[in-house]
Amino acid sequence: MQVVMPQLGETVAEGTVTAWRKKVGERVEAGEALFDVSTDKVETEVPAPASGVLTAILVSEGTTVKVGETLATIGEAGQTQSAPPAATEERLSPVVRKLLAEHGLQAREIAGTGAEGRITRRDVLEYLERRKPAAPAAEERLPLGPIRKRTAEQTALAWRSIPHVLQAVEVDFHAVESARVAHGRSAELTYLPFVARAVCEAIASFPLVNASVDGDALVVHRRIHLGIAVDLGTNGLIVPVLKDAATKSLPDLARAIQALAEKARARKLKPDDVTEGTYTISNSGRFGTFLTAPIILPPQVAILSLDAVAKKPVVRGESIAVRPVGVLAQSFDHRAFDGAYSAAFLHRLKEIVEGKDWSAALNGDGG
Amino acid sequence: MAELTYREAVAAGIAQEMERDDRVVFLGEDVGAAGGVFKSTVGLLERFGPVRVRDTPISEQAIIGAAMGAAMTGLRPIAEIMFSDFFAVCWDMIANEIAKARYMSAGQMSLPLVIRTANGAGSRFGAQHSQSVENWAMAVPGLKVVAPSTPADVKGLLAAAVRDPDPVIFFEHKGLYATKGEVPEGELVDRLGAAKVLRQGTDVTLVALAAMVPRALQAAAQLQDNHGISATVVDLRSLVPLDTRTLIAETAKTGRLYTVEENPRLCGWGAEIASIVAEECFYDLDGPVVRITTPHVPLPAADALEDNAVPTVERIVRTVVRTAG
Repeated sequence: MQVVMPQLGETVAEGTVTAWRKKVGERVEAGEALFDVSTDKVETEVPAPASGVLTAILVSEGTTVKVGETLATIGEAGQTQSAPPAATEERLSPVVRKLLAEHGLQAREIAGTGAEGRITRRDVLEYLERRKPAAPAAEERLPLGPIRKRTAEQTALAWRSIPHVLQAVEVDFHAVESARVAHGRSAELTYLPFVARAVCEAIASFPLVNASVDGDALVVHRRIHLGIAVDLGTNGLIVPVLKDAATKSLPDLARAIQALAEKARARKLKPDDVTEGTYTISNSGRFGTFLTAPIILPPQVAILSLDAVAKKPVVRGESIAVRPVGVLAQSFDHRAFDGAYSAAFLHRLKEIVEGKDWSAALNGDGG
Repeated sequence: MAELTYREAVAAGIAQEMERDDRVVFLGEDVGAAGGVFKSTVGLLERFGPVRVRDTPISEQAIIGAAMGAAMTGLRPIAEIMFSDFFAVCWDMIANEIAKARYMSAGQMSLPLVIRTANGAGSRFGAQHSQSVENWAMAVPGLKVVAPSTPADVKGLLAAAVRDPDPVIFFEHKGLYATKGEVPEGELVDRLGAAKVLRQGTDVTLVALAAMVPRALQAAAQLQDNHGISATVVDLRSLVPLDTRTLIAETAKTGRLYTVEENPRLCGWGAEIASIVAEECFYDLDGPVVRITTPHVPLPAADALEDNAVPTVERIVRTVVRTAG
């Protein structure tokens, strides 16, 4: 006997079975509610057309079918299409049943050690003890990704082989800030391109800073390929290189740095973008650090860290002024030159940052 | 601490209470001049005199009747029934009068009396002098039923029984009179209705009373040593009131309960305990409650038969090993 979707009104062509009142294998009497139907006009329960056992449900709840379509079959007992669960002959004690239920266990999961293989309370407790998850690990082992690995190798090599010396100058960014404000503080116009520009100019006076140690010689580079450390978040740090930075105007420099950083974050740097650096600037400023002692990228001989620029009271003449002040810290390779040379370079850098006509520079004038 | 025998503890307990309270009097057959047929009341007559320590005729009804009257009129008597079997001749007074007086007088009358008696088997006294009848007493509403297993419990529980405002049946065990144990110096007063956990185990719980307590302890030691079964042993000490809290807690910890009873099987106290456990902590049971009892027979006088009728250490061990899986 087939149960079909009834015609529930002259214009109704289909209906949705919203609930079955009986399960497969259950007995049902003719006229007894068998399922609920919802149409665009009515919601109603539908009686069984005959007595018998519900032998199959062909349409699951929530399904919409056309009028007249077969939904289920009613037949004699024993005709059900899904086999009843296999009979289990489990003799479980009350406490074992309770423990199984409490812990959501199945008896078949546990080997019984009691009389005739009965599962005892102890069997369950010991099973639970064994199953108990180990205490959360005190440590987690994270394999190093390719960038991390390379960073590890490079920094370790640099740290082992280069005698690092750190020097720092406090720099007043008032001139830079004034120019930025005048220029409307565009997105790419952070302090970084100003510092990069100033570095290029300072290197002109102190060329040994832009060099490489090669055996027992110092190779001084005429071109300045400026490495800009870019943080990739959890993916590590990468240093794309801005080729011939000294030849670029400040606006070009700003745009180029921005473009490189974006390329780095999009993981679209090409091998050529990360090689041949001659001097590197690392910018940790956005996290508010005061000073960072950066590690030199071999074979370079120096690296500059730009940290937070923040307003501070500074003495100007005989009065105190509020100025944006930051620290420029340089690690240099003591094999390449000495502290006085580095200090002089930093002094020059400071002079440029503080004294250059940055507004003119922003207009593409004066580098 | 002094080491006393179980029988010395009886006398010490009575003496402590007579010393404390002039209303406490003591009466029974051969309890005074003879010091008791089990020598458990030696020295009391000499110490407290013939007014407060009275030897009675051989009439249990007279003893109980006198004690009841004394209690009704303001004394706190301790009566001795030499053998607990003789309760049978006293039942009308014990069950119908003493146990009901408070209830039937709507609380106008209380009977603060103690009936001490020597209970139990093992002394070759035959069927009429060897029974364990604690279940008889337990079956009568209005009676408290106490059965200590150690000298310290004898003294402390006897004191508690004397101070209780209602009738207490105090079962001493004949087989324990000679046993020794430490008893704290000074006044000792225990509490009725508090079981003692004497040994804590993880696999099975043995609940015992009186002379079955030392046997359960020995069995527990053998179960551990020879069979790797860890047994808790609970000394009930008092059947009424019954420490169901301890009983249920200790049963639930192991999931397996064994009663070790000297009374005959049918309607022995363990049947009541099995019933309570089935009702109150069924879902903590890991197997059927098993009762280890004297069978439903008159106790034989022949020593070998008597020894085998009452639960032995060997039978306790064997039963637990067979059924604990």
